Amino acid sequence: MTMNDFHPQVKQLLDGELTLADLPPELRAQGEEALQLLAAVDREPVTFPGLDARVLAKLRRRPQAPGLWRRLRLRPWTLMPAFAAGATLALLLSRPIPTPATPVTVRFVLFAPDAEQVALAGTFNQWDTAATPLVRSGTPGVWTATLTLPAGQHQYAFVVDGARWVADPGAPAVDDGFGRQNSVLSL
Amino acid sequence: MKTLCVSLLLAICGTGVSAQDVTARLAGRVPLDVAALVQQLATSAAARGLPVDPLIQKAIEGSAKGVPTDRVATALRSLVAQLDVAAAALREAGLAQPDTDAIAAGAFAVNAGLSSRHVTALAVASGPSNSVAATLRVASTLAAMGVPPAQTVELVTQVIEAGGSTTDVLALPTAVMAGVSQGQGRGRGLTPAQAAEGLTRAAAARANAPGQGKPKPGKP
Repeated sequence: MTMNDFHPQVKQLLDGELTLADLPPELRAQGEEALQLLAAVDREPVTFPGLDARVLAKLRRRPQAPGLWRRLRLRPWTLMPAFAAGATLALLLSRPIPTPATPVTVRFVLFAPDAEQVALAGTFNQWDTAATPLVRSGTPGVWTATLTLPAGQHQYAFVVDGARWVADPGAPAVDDGFGRQNSVLSL
Repeated sequence: MKTLCVSLLLAICGTGVSAQDVTARLAGRVPLDVAALVQQLATSAAARGLPVDPLIQKAIEGSAKGVPTDRVATALRSLVAQLDVAAAALREAGLAQPDTDAIAAGAFAVNAGLSSRHVTALAVASGPSNSVAATLRVASTLAAMGVPPAQTVELVTQVIEAGGSTTDVLALPTAVMAGVSQGQGRGRGLTPAQAAEGLTRAAAARANAPGQGKPKPGKP
C-alpha cells in the first residue's frame, strides 16, 4: 500500500492530527500499518546522493572576475604560490569523494507514553545521559530526536526518566556485556 | 632492543590514544579503580596493536549504567579477549598488520555471534577494493538483526562477488529490514533469515550473469 492509498483520516493520523483512538474501528488496522511504515521510514538515514559532486561541479564552473589580469601587474615568480595553490586544489578535486564517510542524519523514535523525560546515550555522545534529550512529537507518547552522526557503527540505548535503560525496539541489539542490550546502528 | 622499543612506540601511537588521553577521557567519568584497570589493559592492548578506544567506551558505558566495578572489569577483560580473537582472525586472512578500526569491527562481530572463522572469511571476501571494517560492521549488524552467522557471511560474500561496492554492502541491513517490514501488517512479513536468503539469491544471480561480477580465481 502506498501513501496515496491511505484513507484521508489515516493521513491525518500520520500528520499527528488524530490518534489511533480517533479513527473509526474499520480504519484502525490501516492506521496501525501506516504507523509501522512511518516508524521504518523514520529510521532511514537522510542522505542527498550526488550533492557533493553537484556542488563541486558548480564550483569548478564559477567564472573568474573580469579584468583581473589587466588590473594586476604580474611577474612570473609571483605566480608560483598561485600555481602551488592551484595544484593543491586540483589534487583535492581529483580525489574520489568517499561516500561512506559522509555524516548521516538519523531520526530516533521511542513510544513511551508514561515517560516524563527520555534521553539518548551511546558511543556517539560518550554515554552521556544528559547530552541528547528526546522531545515529545505531535503523536501522544512518541518521543523523537534527530542527530547527524559520522559513518560507522554506533551503539546506544534510550534512558527513560534518567534511570531506566531501554533498547530501541525497532533496531538490532547486542549483548552490552553487563547483562543488558545495546541497540546497534550501522551507517 | 631498539627495534622492540620502536615497535612498541609505533603500536601505541598507532592507536591514536596515549596513556594521558586514557586518563583524561576517564577523569570524572569512572571510579578510580576502573580507570586504573583500563589504563593497565590499554597499555597492554596497544602494545599488541589493538585499539584502545573500545575499552574506554565500555568503561564509561558501565559507569553511566551504574554497573558494579567488578562487573565492569569482567566486561573489559572479555572485550580485550574479543579484540585479540578479531586481530588473530584478520591476520589469518592475510592482513599482516590489521588496522585498529578493522580489529574493533571484528571484535564487535564476535560479540554479535560471529566466529573467528567468519571474521577471516569476511576479511578475505572484502578484498582490496572494499573496507574490511565496513564489511565486518555490516555483518555484525545483520547478525544482531537475527540473520544466522553463516548466512550473514554468505550474503555479504555474494554481494561483493557480484561486484558490489562498500556502499552496496552498507545498504544490506536496510534491505533486510525492508524485507522484514514488507507486508508485516498483513501477516506476510519475512524473517531476517528469509529476507537475507532472497538477497543472497539475487546477488548470486547477478554474480553468475554473463559479464557481471568479479572474476574468481581458478574459474574459467
